[in-house]
Amino acid sequence: MKNKMKSKRYALLLATALTGAAVLAGCGGGKSAGNVAAGDSGAGNTGGSGEQVTISHYTIDSEDRTFIEKLIPEFEKEHPNIKVKVEKAPYEQFDSKLQTLIAGGNSPDVTSHYGYGGFAEYYNKDMLLDLTDLIKEDGFKAEDYHIPENLMKIYTVNGHTYGIPVNMYVTLMLYNKDMFDAAGVSYPPSDYEDKSWTFDRMVEDAKKLTVVSDDIAKTQYGVDFTWAERDMRPLYFGAEPYSEDTWTNGGVPSETHFDSPEVIAAYQKLFDLVFKEKVSPTSEWSKSVAGQNGDPFVAGKIGMSVGGSWNLAGSNDFPFKVGVAAVPWGGNDKVRSTLFVDPLLILKDSKHPKEAFEWIKYLITTEVQEKSIELSGGNPPVNTEAAEVYYKHFDGIDPEDVKKVYEGAVKYGYESYNHLITNYSQINDMFINELQPVETGHKTLEEVMPVIQKKVTEIIQR
Amino acid sequence: MSTVKATRPLGQPSRLRRRIKPVKIASFTALLITTFLMLLPLFFMVSTSLKSKREMLKFPPTFLPESWAWSNYADIFETLQFGTLYKNSLIIAGFSVFGTLLSSALVAYGFARYRGRGNSFWFILLLSTMMLPYPAIMIPQFVLFSQMQWIDTFLPLIVPAFFGSAYNIFLLRQFFSTLPEELFDAGRIDGCGELRMWRTIALPLSAPALATVAIFAFIYSWNDLLTPVLYLSSSDKFTLPVGMASLTSSRFRIPPWHLLMVASVLAMVPIVTLFAIAQKQFVEGIVLTGIK
Repeated sequence: MKNKMKSKRYALLLATALTGAAVLAGCGGGKSAGNVAAGDSGAGNTGGSGEQVTISHYTIDSEDRTFIEKLIPEFEKEHPNIKVKVEKAPYEQFDSKLQTLIAGGNSPDVTSHYGYGGFAEYYNKDMLLDLTDLIKEDGFKAEDYHIPENLMKIYTVNGHTYGIPVNMYVTLMLYNKDMFDAAGVSYPPSDYEDKSWTFDRMVEDAKKLTVVSDDIAKTQYGVDFTWAERDMRPLYFGAEPYSEDTWTNGGVPSETHFDSPEVIAAYQKLFDLVFKEKVSPTSEWSKSVAGQNGDPFVAGKIGMSVGGSWNLAGSNDFPFKVGVAAVPWGGNDKVRSTLFVDPLLILKDSKHPKEAFEWIKYLITTEVQEKSIELSGGNPPVNTEAAEVYYKHFDGIDPEDVKKVYEGAVKYGYESYNHLITNYSQINDMFINELQPVETGHKTLEEVMPVIQKKVTEIIQR
Repeated sequence: MSTVKATRPLGQPSRLRRRIKPVKIASFTALLITTFLMLLPLFFMVSTSLKSKREMLKFPPTFLPESWAWSNYADIFETLQFGTLYKNSLIIAGFSVFGTLLSSALVAYGFARYRGRGNSFWFILLLSTMMLPYPAIMIPQFVLFSQMQWIDTFLPLIVPAFFGSAYNIFLLRQFFSTLPEELFDAGRIDGCGELRMWRTIALPLSAPALATVAIFAFIYSWNDLLTPVLYLSSSDKFTLPVGMASLTSSRFRIPPWHLLMVASVLAMVPIVTLFAIAQKQFVEGIVLTGIK
């Protein structure tokens, strides 16, 4: 009996060890899904005009994406030979499901880079269909859909078009009017041509708004400056960490300069907001105030918040009055705003690219783009005619301000690097990890940036 | 102390007084505090589930809702098709538990009772399948099931459970091998075949182990997100985790935490119920195996 008890105990121990091993193995194996090449592409049936075909649109399972289901009945009425099916996945699983669908020979027809990976990653994995011939055959012209020509160029590589823009987010500043009123500070301007609106003036204003108190409920900060993804931020001050060829060859930089003095100085200026000027919150404070996915600005604890225009979509629910303003001038005369233009892409394994293209064209018509604003709860259209409706969408915010901010952002905008650089999900993860000790004040930029430079080079060569 | 003794009424046993020692009070207080700390997140979950959307964003957060938004519990059925999700999850989890119990108990019985050549080799081979992480088999399995036309059905989520799970087989095998040989000898004398011995001797005596396996299998299936995401594509076939993940899926919107908490509270109910039931089984099982 005693022996049996003993063996049982060993068995339990072994079981624990094995479970542990399985868990560890699980962590290491996460990448394997992405490396599998696309499987068989099925019969090359392009679908004649009379025959009925079904195309699938793969998107994120959230209300601001799945609203397209409501557009389908109208489209199917106009195109009786095309049926549209929407396939969806939660954000976190978006990439794995897409990879699996493609590898399993069930590739969707239309999608966008809604997951962690950006356009360049899809392009370099050879997942995308070259739309150039389709466009020529169809006689598609961007101006018919009021899409600015410079936006079409974003998803054109070496003269070949791979994506049609559908939504355009920009970087803008949201400010808490109540907090400005209480501190007696004048509102920031929405006009990009107002030369007095500089980074330094923003810091001065922020100082007047900041209250640091032992009581966490009373503490508030002047500004939260989350301009673009971490690797892109030097650009705001005029420093360029990636070599020029990145933007023309499909997102593979031949050189990076993350350890250059200009880049380090740019990062230093941003971290000074937290540690020297003390007008921005530390990341720990933000997390404790706003929770995991949250934003301390929404909780009413931040005066000015620079970030993506998606923050506007929730503004009708904020418990305070909100205004929009231009991103201040930081030393770069050409770029002040990051653009996040989401394209619609046709996947290479699509069996019905022609019909998929019809669906894409439908989604960017002025009428549908206007309707989509309301249905999605405030997605910014790429169609400039529909944009007029978008500017009026937000309660209590002057449409004129939104318009000025948007037009200025496009004029002084640059497409977000996360869409343009290859292996970006890995670059971004690495940046988050490596900059962590700087954000908490445990390491200096001089220590960290050479490591980042080395790691970026490795990731790009993968 | 002498005064204490003096005021003690006659006939009162002194044992009662001695029972409440300071150590006991201290340990009891410590337990109370720990219990309170453990229950705090749970309490906060329920409390958040009853807050309005505006109150949910407040900082510092309120402990109790200012106004009790019971309507959240009705809203979740509209925003998420919660009833359908719940039903789907229950169907899948139910079949998975049944399948896992049936197949794992049979295989484990074989491993525990038979001494054949290469026995340990096969067992090690079985255990080594535990080392394979899901992403490694994800794509081959998807190709297999898609060729069987099983995409967008519950089959890929249920059928694999009927083919055993290494961890549970291992767990049950260890339990079966502790059952006394004499019982089976007695069975054999009475003319039992192996299957009957499995059903009438091994299974009833293994209630604790079976309950553990059932709980594991249920929780695994109930919480599984990736597999349903991969195989299901119509919204009316989605499971609870898929629906709940969709609430936090937008990078551009503030997640409706209050509704998510409602969903979590409701999703917890079957697990708590199952645990309550299985726990009773667990105790009974130990009583029944009196022979040990």
